[in-house]
Amino acid sequence: MKIKTHFGDALILFLVAAFLVVPLVLTFFYSVFTEWMDILPTGFTLNFYVEIFSDGAFINSLLRSIIISIIPVVICTISILLVLYVITLYVPRLEKYVEILCNIPYAIQGVILAAGVISLYSGKPGFLSNRIFLLVGSYCIIVLPYIFRGLKNTIGALNVRCVIEAAQVLGCSKLHAFFTIVIPQMKRGIISTMMLAFTMLFADFVVVNMIAGSAFRTAGIYLYQTMSKSGQISSAIIVILFITTLIISTLTLMIQNKAVKSTKRREA
Amino acid sequence: MAYIEFRGICKSYDGINQVLKNIDLDIEKGELVTLLGPSGCGKSTLLRSLAGLEDINSGQIILDGEDITHTPVQKRGIGMVFQQYSLFQNMNVEDNIAFGLKIAKMDKAQIEQKVKAAIEMVDLAGKEKSYPSQLSGGQQQRVAIARAIVMEPKVLLLDEPLSAIDAKLRRELQEKIKKVQKELKITTIFVTHDQDEAMIMSDRIHLMNQGIIEQSGQPVQLYTHPVSKFSAEFIGHYNILTPEQLTNFFPEKRFPGNFYAIRPETFLLSSEPIQDPEFMTFEAEVMDFISRGNVLRYTLKCKNVTFTSEVLFRSFALFDVGSVVHVGIEEHNLLMLND
Repeated sequence: MKIKTHFGDALILFLVAAFLVVPLVLTFFYSVFTEWMDILPTGFTLNFYVEIFSDGAFINSLLRSIIISIIPVVICTISILLVLYVITLYVPRLEKYVEILCNIPYAIQGVILAAGVISLYSGKPGFLSNRIFLLVGSYCIIVLPYIFRGLKNTIGALNVRCVIEAAQVLGCSKLHAFFTIVIPQMKRGIISTMMLAFTMLFADFVVVNMIAGSAFRTAGIYLYQTMSKSGQISSAIIVILFITTLIISTLTLMIQNKAVKSTKRREA
Repeated sequence: MAYIEFRGICKSYDGINQVLKNIDLDIEKGELVTLLGPSGCGKSTLLRSLAGLEDINSGQIILDGEDITHTPVQKRGIGMVFQQYSLFQNMNVEDNIAFGLKIAKMDKAQIEQKVKAAIEMVDLAGKEKSYPSQLSGGQQQRVAIARAIVMEPKVLLLDEPLSAIDAKLRRELQEKIKKVQKELKITTIFVTHDQDEAMIMSDRIHLMNQGIIEQSGQPVQLYTHPVSKFSAEFIGHYNILTPEQLTNFFPEKRFPGNFYAIRPETFLLSSEPIQDPEFMTFEAEVMDFISRGNVLRYTLKCKNVTFTSEVLFRSFALFDVGSVVHVGIEEHNLLMLND
């Protein structure tokens, strides 16, 4: 019975892994062969990768994607942390309203959001009509519910009020206690939440294309523009983007594991 | 003038249900007093209002001659230990204890010296670099005590600090707290709902009920002379009897008032008639008995009145269920209550 269960588990795992990995492996194969007319591809080459990396525009677009994804995540995380500080310690009755407010973006499609933002702000004077500013703002709205949910669950697991009261009795201000005691305890939750939000924005094409336009070449836009030129190059770009995300995720996991290991070491 | 004075303290959360009703209370310097009472009686609220963690609606709090009613919590010079330990999980024992001293911008060498002394006082030497998650509940609470006393506060507040700790460890910590308190001669207010703990720990007990101080006094005084039905029921396992019920026991006597309290251990039980003229006697049937270690608690019945009696567990003094025993009590042990 036990063996059967193990076999069942392994089969499910295998099928899921195959479902996720096979398209990527095929894309990779397509990017390193010149032709794929038969069952097996022919003409192994890394020229497509060489071509991509020798084009400075791709590196720029990749960096642009990373930066334009990180900025809204950081802004949103800091804002939500401050909001949670206020509602946890000063006005807990506002929590349900903040929650409703933060959940609204769940219901807004990217296309609708982008169209709404453009029609509202285009033509406005000063920085308001700046496309990059609008893009950052829109991204903040998109990731808001995810960041709020992640951070709220993290803070909910801590007895914040009591810890801050203990710090206050020792002469510390509430804000100082929040940043020196509560936030360090939330580190793992903050990293996971930021990572989730980052990957969402990093993969975006619709919003950036509508708001910033194709002149603002992020990795997604670059990929879109390349697709009409060469299938192999666009496959190579997909593989590179995947590896980039994988590297960022691995780094995040390493930071998290470091925190877990040090906790376990302390507990051992 | 007392060291700590509460004057006319009133507190309500919604304007209707008063948690504290015009509390007047004096606490002398160096005392270890206990605020004792059931859940929701206002004892923690009173403690937190002294700490500055709870605003009061009216009244005045004076500490060492200074009105601190509106002083911010950080500036009251009060140390507090919470029920949930409230240690900073991201800091080790040393850093937890040094936290307040660092906030006060004390000299580094002085901090080290004070932290070391505090760690030794609560017997945590060798655990300096441990994190709270590595410590037992008792050790964590000792860190919390050290963190509070290292600040040399004017008053140490202990808000049910032992309620989450198992019985054996609790006894050890009770002794530790008493020892530290006597050593430092620090004025300490201890909040608990456990009457045994209050008896063991306190120089003085203030028994609270529904937002008022029901009775104050030394532990023995409170135990032997409860003034109200509530005090008698809360402090001991008193038998609360009406004058009519007592008349069932002693038909020749008349009892004024509404309620009488009789401590279970004041009954004398005997299989033979009691000859001592000091004792008023009657007969009762043994309904049940339970052993509480060194004490046997009998449930007895006399003319439809059920009461309990406690005697030291001696094998020769066992009475069987259903047997009739002679019960004696001295008249001064019938305590008339104010209710």
